[in-house]
Formats: sequence, structure tokens, C-alpha cells
Amino acid sequence: MRADVWHYDGVTALRRRVELVAEGDGFTLADDGQAGERVAFAELTPGDGDAGQASFGRKGHPGWRITFDGAVPADLAAALPGAHRYGRWVDRLGLWRAVGVFAVLAAIVVVVVLRTPALLARMIPASAEQRLGDVMMGDFGRKGCSDPAGRAALATLVQRVDPDDRTLEVHVVKLPMVNAVTLPGGRIVVFDGLIQAAQSPDEVAGVIAHEIGHVRGRDVMESLLRQMGLSVLLGGMEGHVGGYTNALLATAYSRDAEARADGRAIDMLRDAKLSPVPTARFFDRLGKGAGSTERMFAYIASHPVSADRAKRFRASVAKGAVYTPALDAREWAALRGICSDETDTIDWRF
Amino acid sequence: MSDEQAATRAFRFTGRWQDYAPIAFTNLLLTIVTLGVYVFWARTRTRRYLWSRTQFIDDRLEWTGTGLELFVGYLLAFVLFVVPFGVINLVLQGVMMRGHQGAAGLMVGLLYLAILYLFGVARFRALRYRLSRTLWHGIRGGSDDQGVVYGWSYFWRTLLSFLTIYLMTPWAMAKLWNQRWNAMSFGSLPFRSHARWQPVFKRFLLFYVVPIALSFVVGILIAIFAGVAAALKSDAPPTSGMIVTIALAGVLFYILFFGVLGLVAMAFYAAFFREAIGATSLGKLEFGFEASTMDWVKLYLGNLGLTVVTFGVGYIFVPYRNWAFFIRHLAAYGEVEIDTLTQSRTREPGQGEGLLDAFDVGAF
Repeated sequence: MRADVWHYDGVTALRRRVELVAEGDGFTLADDGQAGERVAFAELTPGDGDAGQASFGRKGHPGWRITFDGAVPADLAAALPGAHRYGRWVDRLGLWRAVGVFAVLAAIVVVVVLRTPALLARMIPASAEQRLGDVMMGDFGRKGCSDPAGRAALATLVQRVDPDDRTLEVHVVKLPMVNAVTLPGGRIVVFDGLIQAAQSPDEVAGVIAHEIGHVRGRDVMESLLRQMGLSVLLGGMEGHVGGYTNALLATAYSRDAEARADGRAIDMLRDAKLSPVPTARFFDRLGKGAGSTERMFAYIASHPVSADRAKRFRASVAKGAVYTPALDAREWAALRGICSDETDTIDWRF
Repeated sequence: MSDEQAATRAFRFTGRWQDYAPIAFTNLLLTIVTLGVYVFWARTRTRRYLWSRTQFIDDRLEWTGTGLELFVGYLLAFVLFVVPFGVINLVLQGVMMRGHQGAAGLMVGLLYLAILYLFGVARFRALRYRLSRTLWHGIRGGSDDQGVVYGWSYFWRTLLSFLTIYLMTPWAMAKLWNQRWNAMSFGSLPFRSHARWQPVFKRFLLFYVVPIALSFVVGILIAIFAGVAAALKSDAPPTSGMIVTIALAGVLFYILFFGVLGLVAMAFYAAFFREAIGATSLGKLEFGFEASTMDWVKLYLGNLGLTVVTFGVGYIFVPYRNWAFFIRHLAAYGEVEIDTLTQSRTREPGQGEGLLDAFDVGAF
């Protein structure tokens, strides 16, 4: 078998017209009738399937090329390696089968990445989470409002909602937002704006119960892990596509976590003989207003206000149950005044 | 090579978008189903096509890079760069939360400086990688330099141009271009570049003159308008029509302002690339670049229009358009001494332009 090919030796830039003389499992390139060294077909590396002309390299000889002018003679083609096109795996599987396989794998990966954080979060010891929270948040929230009577009232309220957990940290920070957040490390911060907007201590109790629900569910750790997983997974996607997908998935899960925290809060209120109705009313009022509770940080569980949540709390009222107020009038007044001594200045420190 | 051949274009782009479309769409599909991982192979396939449709004198170019090495480069950049910066970000948050805004500011400042240096290194290495994967007549390019020194040069020149309210930017750009290309070679031939900043400086001054002139004109217009309004009705409240007019005028001015600034940028870059590429040579081969400001504007508006009209899908054709634009305006004069051009002895970089990928910018 013989065919005319163009040849570069990869050492000089000279372009040669040579005759490929195939014999058995190899060939020689004859230049003006002078046969060169013998090359085995197995040494050839495939060229680019999109290039529009058949071209082959040679293992261990960078720049070495033989290129056919037109189609490769059929009897020779069988001995030559097939062209590369999409990448090795896809070439081997075929485009459509590869698309199918990749799509299934992608779905599995997404599910795993979305599911593992919940398991992982529960495996991380609370003390480790606390340390992480300290690294990320420093003293934020800890240097909350410090009026002694107010703090005592707050402690009473927390004790009432959750008598079992002595390690709970709840602080009030003087910020005019109607919101409460659970920080990494299970630290609960209630903003003064919420206490001022509440009409009774039972409303505040409901909100704190919800936040304790987050702490018990390890929700903040879970969402932190999920964010990390997603950002690694979607990091390869170009630009905003990854960002949007990430945000979308994260929000879906955050709503899920909210519902679970509400469930735990309802249980806690029932056990503490606290009425869920004020909490429902509080949600109603928030929903009627702008309804836009600020989101402070992406990874801190957000609190969408909705009529559904109010309905759920209202539905949990047990027939014949006797409820007692969370705080008496004197304590409630103290709680409302917990931030009376605070100034809002932020000091610059090095 | 005879004079007759030199008179025809040395670089020719022979691609057709119809041929590229199947590549672009399968790339998009595979990238989606692999959650983005295929992007490196997609980029490689695109380059293989574009290079193979780029004719230089008597033969086409060949891209010999692989998707795997781009992927490895990205992973390396991720481990060496994205992870540490993520950790620093976390610490930064902690510092902020503790109320040490000053310290946080300092850290952010240092972070920016580090990024500036790495950006310079990345830019050098990306060019080196691309040359080392470009084959013509079986010969590749490359550089023996790792880009560490270039990184410092980029670092201080950029800071200097910043400190001189960017007045020294053309100088920095020209010097950096020269430094970059003088470190590169193709086969046995070194690139030589002696781009000057003086020829493009006048155009660069437009960045300063145009906004001032524009503000001046608009200021006068507003004064006249206000004067007329005051003369007509001194103390009547403005009608809604008037407010809408003023708001519209504001929006128009905004668009005009940035449109004009964009034009200035195109004018400058057109001049800069003509100067820089025109000052670059390889052996007895002189390069040239012939894109006018208008050509750049057309390229930009074309890319923008294509992307907007197709709701973003057309974006997959942007690399094609950019490369075609580049090659169609690229010229070469003189001769290549094929007989003496031999294979490059530079060390081939093992992985792709990972670091630059992390910054998401091009090599030129």
C-alpha cells in the first residue's frame, strides 16, 4: 500500500512530500525514493476529527506529523487510529450515550451534595461548631444589650421555652430590624427591633422557640456545608449560571429548614404551656406590612414570613389546654428596656 | 519566499460559523450535563477548530493542548489559590465581626496586592502555554521563563500607573507587552518587541478630556434649561411631564456618557494593538495589526447583539468571532527562513492556564 502524504519531522520546519509505504504492522516514508526509518502503526497518535483533513502524530516525537491531502485510502484507514473529537471518554461512548451517562451522574452528584450536609452537620460535634462560629463571628451578638433586669427577663423567657438546654446563648442586639438569627455555633441573636415590634412576651417566645429549633436541627451548620459543597460543585460553570443555580438550591433548602424549625418550635411551646396564638398573630402582622424581613447573611437561615406559617401555629392550639403568659408584666417591661443603655456607635479598632 | 507571496495575506482565517455551530452546541450540551466540568474540553475543542482554520503562509496552525491539562491547571489553581483565599475570606469575616474594621481593611488591601502580582504571573503563563501548544510546520513556541519576574514587573508598573492617576497606563502596557513577548520564542527564533507608549498617549488622554468636555456641555445645557424654566414660571411646582423629561434626560446622559467612554476605550485599544503588534517581530518576520476603531466597535456591538438577541445562547459564538477578528486583521511581512527554523528547546509547561482561568480573562 502506498499513499502520498505531507510530512514534518518535528525537528526542522521543512515540509516534505513523501510516499508512505505500508508493510505489515508498520510503514516507511520514502523521500525521493529513499526509504526512511520504519514506524509502527501502533506508534501513531490520532489527529483532530474536526480539522477537515486526516493528520497523525507519533508518540515520543512532538511535532512529527503526516497529513493526507484528501481522504485516507480505505485499505490504510483500518490500520490508522481513529480521530479525536470530543475527548477520550465521549469519543469512546459516543456523544448521545455519553450525554445520558453524564446527566445521570450529574443528578446523583447533585442529590449527594444536597443530602450529605444534613448528615455531616449532625456528625460534627457541637464544640467544633462553636469554635467555627467563634472564628467567623467573633463576639458579634455576645456584646448584646446588657441591662441587668432585661437580661434576667430574657434568661427567664429562654428557660421557659427550653428548660433542658443550659448551653443556649441568646442575646439581644440593638438594631432596628424585626428579625432574629441563629449564627454558626448555635448562638441566637434577637434584634431589638423585633422586641419593640412584639406586643407580648409570648410573641418573642415563639420567635426564640423557632431559633432554638434551628439550633437543635444544626441547620446553620448544614447550610454552611451545603453552600461550600455547591460552590465547589458549581464553580466550574461559567459566570452567573453557577451563582443562580446555587442561590436557587440554597433557598429551596432554607425554606425546608424553616418549616422544620417551626415544627420544633410548636412542640416546645406546647411542652412549655405557652400559647402559639400570639406567635401566629405576630406573623400575621409582619406579613401584612412590607413582609420583607432583612436577610443579613446568605448562610444564616432566612425567615420568610407567610400566612401559612401563622396558620400552622394557630392550628397547633390544643383543645382545653391551659396556657400561661411567658413573662409577667414587670418582666416584659424589663425585656423591652434591655437595650435602654446602648449607643449605636461602631468603633474602629486595629 | 518571494515578494509576490508576501503581498498576499500571510494569515488567513478559513472557518465558517456553520461548521463551528455543531461544535459550539455539543460543547454547550456536554458542559451542562457534566455540571461544567467539560468546559475545559470544550475550550480545547474550540481552539482546535479555530487553529486548524487559521492558515499561515502555506500551512495551517494546529492546537495541541488537551482538555485534561486545562482541567489539571484549574485544579492546581483551585488548591493553590481559591482555597487559601476562601479561608482568608472566612477569617476576614471573623475580624469584621469582632469590630476590627481597620484590620479587615488592611487585610483586604494586602489581598488585592497579592492578587495583582498573581494576575501578572497568570497572564505571562497563559501566553507561554498558548504558544507552547501552537504548532506550525511541526514547530511549537514557548518560553524558558516562568513569569515570576514578569509578575513583579506587572505589579509595580500597575501600582505606578495607579499612583499617577493612570497617566502612566500606556507606558506600563507597552513595557509589559515588550517584556512579555521578548521572553517568548517560536521554534529556534525569539520574538522581539519594542512597542512604544508615545504614539498611543494622545488617544489615551481622551479618557481625561472627553468626560470633562462632556460634563461641561451638559452643565451648560442644564443651566440654560434651568434658566428658561425659572423665567417661565418662577415658583410653580414642576409638572409631572417636566420631571419625566428630566429623568429621561438623565438616563440618556448616562448612556451617552458610558457609550462615549466605551468609544474612547475602543479608540485607545485599537491604537495600542496596532502599535504593540506592529512592533513585534519573529526573526525576519514583522507583524502588523490593522483593526481600526470602527472594526473594534463592530466586533463589540456584534458580540453584544448576538448575545442579547439569542437570550445569551449566542454567547457560545463569541470565541469564534473574536478569533476570526484577530486573525483577519493580523498581518505579517518579511520572510520565514524555513531552512533554519528548528524545534523549540523551551520546557513545555505541564498544565494549562489554570491561574488565569481563575481570574477569567483572556491571554492577549
